[in-house]
Amino acid sequence: MSRPGFVLDVDERTPPLLMHQGEGFRLERLPLGAKVIYPPDSLPGIRNVDAAIRHALLNPHGTEPLPELLTRGMRLTIVFDDLSLPLPPMQTPDVRQRIIEQVLEMAAAKGVDDVELIAGNALHRRMTPAELRRTVGDRVFHAFFPDHLKNHDAEDHDNLLHMGKTKHGEDVEINRRAAESDLIVYVNITLTAMSGGSKSVSVGLASYRSLKHHHNVHTLRHSNSFNDPPNSAMHHSYDRMKGVIDEHVKVFTIETTLNNDTFPSSMGFLNKREWEWNVRDQASYVAVKRANELIPAKTRRRIWQSTAAPYGVTGVHAGLQSEVHPRTLANVHRQQLTEVNGQADVGIYSLPYICPYNVNSVMNPILVMSLGLGYMFNLYRNKPIVRQGGVAIFYHPVPNEFHPVHHPSYIDFFEEILTESTDPVLLESKYEEQFATDPWYIQLYRNSYAYHGVHPFYMWYWGAHALEHLGDVIFVGGDRKTTARMGFRAATTLADALEMASHTVGSSPSISYLHAPPLALADVQ
Amino acid sequence: MPTIGESQRMTPDRHEFRRLDACHLLLTGATGFLGQATLERLLSDYPGVRISLLIRPRGGASAQRRFDGLLRKPVFRELRERIGEEELRRVAAERVTVIEGDLGEVTLPGDLDVVIHGASTVSFDPPIDEAFRTNVSGVVTLYEALRASGADPHVVHVSTAYVAGVRKGVVPENRLDHTVDWRTELAGALAARADVERDSRRPEVLRKSMSRAQGEHRKAGPQSVVSAAEEARQEWVTERLVDYGRARAQSLGWPDVYTFTKALGERAAEELWGERHLSIVRPAIVESSLRHPYPGWIDGYKMADPLIIAYGRGALPEFPGLPDSVVDIIPVDLVVNATLAVAAAPPEPGGPAYFHVGSGSRNPLSFHGLYENVRDYFRRHPMPAGERGHVRVPSWRFPGSRQVEMMLSGSERATSMAERALLRLPASARTRDWMTAVHRQQNNLDFLRRYADLYQAYTQAEVIYDDSRTHALHRTLPPELAEEHGFDPSVIDWAHYLQEVHSPSVTELMRGFSKGRGGSRRTASPALPERTDIAAVFDLEGTIVASNLIESYLWARLSSLPKSQWSGELADLARSLPRYLRAERRDRGDFVRAFLRRYEGADIAELRHLVDDVLGEALLQRAMPEAVRRIRGHRAAGHKTILITGTVDVFVRPLAGLFDEVVASRMHARDGVLTGYLDSPPLVDEARAAWLRRHALDEGLDLSQSYAYADSYSDRPLLETVGNPAAVNPDPSLYRHAKRKHWRIYEWGAHTRGRGDVLIDTIGTVGAR
Repeated sequence: MSRPGFVLDVDERTPPLLMHQGEGFRLERLPLGAKVIYPPDSLPGIRNVDAAIRHALLNPHGTEPLPELLTRGMRLTIVFDDLSLPLPPMQTPDVRQRIIEQVLEMAAAKGVDDVELIAGNALHRRMTPAELRRTVGDRVFHAFFPDHLKNHDAEDHDNLLHMGKTKHGEDVEINRRAAESDLIVYVNITLTAMSGGSKSVSVGLASYRSLKHHHNVHTLRHSNSFNDPPNSAMHHSYDRMKGVIDEHVKVFTIETTLNNDTFPSSMGFLNKREWEWNVRDQASYVAVKRANELIPAKTRRRIWQSTAAPYGVTGVHAGLQSEVHPRTLANVHRQQLTEVNGQADVGIYSLPYICPYNVNSVMNPILVMSLGLGYMFNLYRNKPIVRQGGVAIFYHPVPNEFHPVHHPSYIDFFEEILTESTDPVLLESKYEEQFATDPWYIQLYRNSYAYHGVHPFYMWYWGAHALEHLGDVIFVGGDRKTTARMGFRAATTLADALEMASHTVGSSPSISYLHAPPLALADVQ
Repeated sequence: MPTIGESQRMTPDRHEFRRLDACHLLLTGATGFLGQATLERLLSDYPGVRISLLIRPRGGASAQRRFDGLLRKPVFRELRERIGEEELRRVAAERVTVIEGDLGEVTLPGDLDVVIHGASTVSFDPPIDEAFRTNVSGVVTLYEALRASGADPHVVHVSTAYVAGVRKGVVPENRLDHTVDWRTELAGALAARADVERDSRRPEVLRKSMSRAQGEHRKAGPQSVVSAAEEARQEWVTERLVDYGRARAQSLGWPDVYTFTKALGERAAEELWGERHLSIVRPAIVESSLRHPYPGWIDGYKMADPLIIAYGRGALPEFPGLPDSVVDIIPVDLVVNATLAVAAAPPEPGGPAYFHVGSGSRNPLSFHGLYENVRDYFRRHPMPAGERGHVRVPSWRFPGSRQVEMMLSGSERATSMAERALLRLPASARTRDWMTAVHRQQNNLDFLRRYADLYQAYTQAEVIYDDSRTHALHRTLPPELAEEHGFDPSVIDWAHYLQEVHSPSVTELMRGFSKGRGGSRRTASPALPERTDIAAVFDLEGTIVASNLIESYLWARLSSLPKSQWSGELADLARSLPRYLRAERRDRGDFVRAFLRRYEGADIAELRHLVDDVLGEALLQRAMPEAVRRIRGHRAAGHKTILITGTVDVFVRPLAGLFDEVVASRMHARDGVLTGYLDSPPLVDEARAAWLRRHALDEGLDLSQSYAYADSYSDRPLLETVGNPAAVNPDPSLYRHAKRKHWRIYEWGAHTRGRGDVLIDTIGTVGAR
């Protein structure tokens, strides 16, 4: 049994603690009395994953075993989570590959020959052929690409189907091929409590017309947090949409969960608690840090981006989504949930080099904002780790860098929209429509490898709840101009940041540091 | 009517003072510095004087309009505030008559009592014919017109102290001592232009300017070469005429053509009016006023001011001058007072009176003293330097003119070599920064060279202008008038005048200018007007995408070849590279033709496929987001977006969606295979401009309001066709041109991916399949 999550009170004996800072990291000594939230130790992975998958497919929850659902002449569509999961990408073979291979074997055995594979990428950029191949494996890739292994195209209006509206009037429009299939098999990886469940089909295969009903400022401000589905307005909307989808098409869900082996063994110290570092960890910290600082920026990025995590699979559950997902969530909580007593005046978050939208790409300032104020801030249940009106301190250099092909609308959003305002409500009402329907962005989304024109807005909304909740936002080591453009402040050191924060929270604030990644979900009482 | 009758005429020897009153005075050169001050003084303090102004119509403005404009100038500020705008206009209308005409031909009134002749060229080195026309012919015409009018006024002829020429020691207030015949010199000067014009058309000269123009402008096309050559010829003519003037002046003992012609002007005056009442006033270096109309009043920059400002900007590390030489500066109000006092004291006929108005003999200011005062001023009030705080002024050591000259010519050689070298370098932000640095250095040097040459006589003079006659006239002033109307230079406290009055006044304009300039490089572009009859024309390579023909060829070639053949292909390309570069330097069209031959034998369908699958992505990776945003901005404003490129049309497809019109090269194909030849000549340099003009005519586009963006000097003709040209990441030649023409210059491509990365990715993608 692994050790549970743990909250450390910083005292004189506490060593400096690890902080991720983009494509780098550092050790930082926190003020005495600060609380540090660690996730439970990494759970042991399932030894025989293939057997577990087979078991799950043959013993699903709430439905017949998969082979019984497969019949000759049927239309079968296998949808899988895209590049944004997991983070960092897992070492091959990807668990999605293992599942898809078994599903395909079962389908072949039953004589199913109308099979399509679709990446559930919604408004994300298309996956490149190489990325698809890495996810589904060589065998599947060569057999299906390019005609039967595709990215979902949310702007191909002929291949979308409007299934109706929810009782709240929300449009449900998803990929036509999937919608008109006899069976959808959805292959999922649930990395955080936000993912999976009713989100899978209703979001992954949806169009802008459908997504705008839950990807908006109002919903996100009422999702407290979006990692706690019962208290998330966004998830309530997903659930309603899923209800509409269920009336049209049968979905067989396979959800997997991963443990916290986030970094490869060469950087094993990143997975450990600092006071338990042995001599080898200490040495490799010094060596990796030094090497990381010495190599040229381009090489550094390539190395970080090619890092793959040696995740262990902690659970495979298949069947009816409503029965599968609670089991999946329980697994996620087992790995990530740490109970915390009370909120602090200051929350500290260290932001790593990766987020869901910069795999094989560049972490631009908007993504930094969404990673910090969106993903990290929302890693809580009940209450944020920082109190209303408190200060969030993030560690990230926030360089003014963009990937010109992957994030073209982000560049324009940063240069032209954020210079007008940073208020999510105003941006939403004034500019969202224009970016979402821009023919050039649509062309780039469909034919190139660009995120949809509206995506930077979603990233900004992702932080809307934090923007409303926080009294101040400070980036330690952040580029001054870039952070200022986004309405934040930059500090050189933690001491400076605390000094700046003192105008908001006084000179001896209580502090909580969410020590992640590996991911921790704070259950704040 | 004239109150200054024979009996009242006085010479300075007679100690009796009269003020101008109840007379009719003609003033020439009223729009000039001294003229404005004189006119203001007459209007504000001499109510009895009727004034006629001889004003030349200029630039479409009539004499009357120029006079009206004059009343709005700062010189009348005090008076305007004292009596009000309306009263000023009323007084002016009542007392001033404007006579339109210049010194070529004019009819003057017959009842003039006094003439103050202040019209003169102000430049030190105008072409010889211009200098003579104003300073000598002008004088002759004036006196002839006076004779014709039948009047017999007292003429105050304003000259300059420096007519004495290059000499040492004390210069008395007397007729100049020389035997130069002004008629011969005038005739020679006026004939010079014809000679020079003829010379400039000699084939040797023309060939030389033609070959220089080709070297610099060939890339921009034949018409640009021709017009540059003709421009160079005209410049050559002007330079020659300036040189004619300077050389002739110096051969006769004057430092420059200005003092030379002023000296001959005096001679002409003496000859034509010497038998009547003639006074010659010779001021030294006239600078801002000490008291009247307000301390520090100045109109534009006078002689010492460019130096003061350049020094304040930190641009003058040293100046050739003798530290102990006297810089004879005199505030303008003292000169006006002296001139008006002289005007009221006509000499006996037949004996012209001479007056030096300067500070050198009574209150000498050494060059070193001037330097110290100016330095102290700038140390206390440094000039702003944009985002970089303030300028720190250099300390001069006065090493002597030989040393300064050596430093100067050494630096000149170095910068001109640096510029030649830079012009051959490829376009990059770094070369542009170097280019800017070299240009700044070059400007500073040009400036220093010009003024060091021009002012040599003034900053190395070991001469004193005796002013006893002027001083005697001053002493006739009753004590109550001495302060307001006196002209004794010993009242000047140089530290006060230079640090509190003059320097603040001349730097005021520059300060305002520098303040507005902080961080000029990244100023936001103005909003685009919403119109549908405007075109926005973009070049492709270097402007919208960072890649070029060779790069896209490599993408295409390497991704379609097996890896084993890459090295052969690359080696072959490397071997041909010098040939391509030579072609490129010669003519953009030659290069396009030569390079596209490499596509010979390529299958067009395959190529198209490759572009859609792989190369399009590469092109987008090398695209500059700012360019794309700009294009889309133009589109949103309703403008017609046009892409003009020498690249083959297949390669442009991924970007075609941004444009209303794409003009690209088309390659000739036989049976679906490219022959390596173009269907029509590539659209480069002037052909682009011609195409655009034609297109604008056909489509009813307003080119004067249109926009064009390009990166290469070969696009100069295209850029010049539109009203809003912009240089994007310009090559050194275009950068230089854009700077000179004050075109917008953009640095784009902040997030564009690197050449190598994209190449690796692109050919890697194909390998991954």
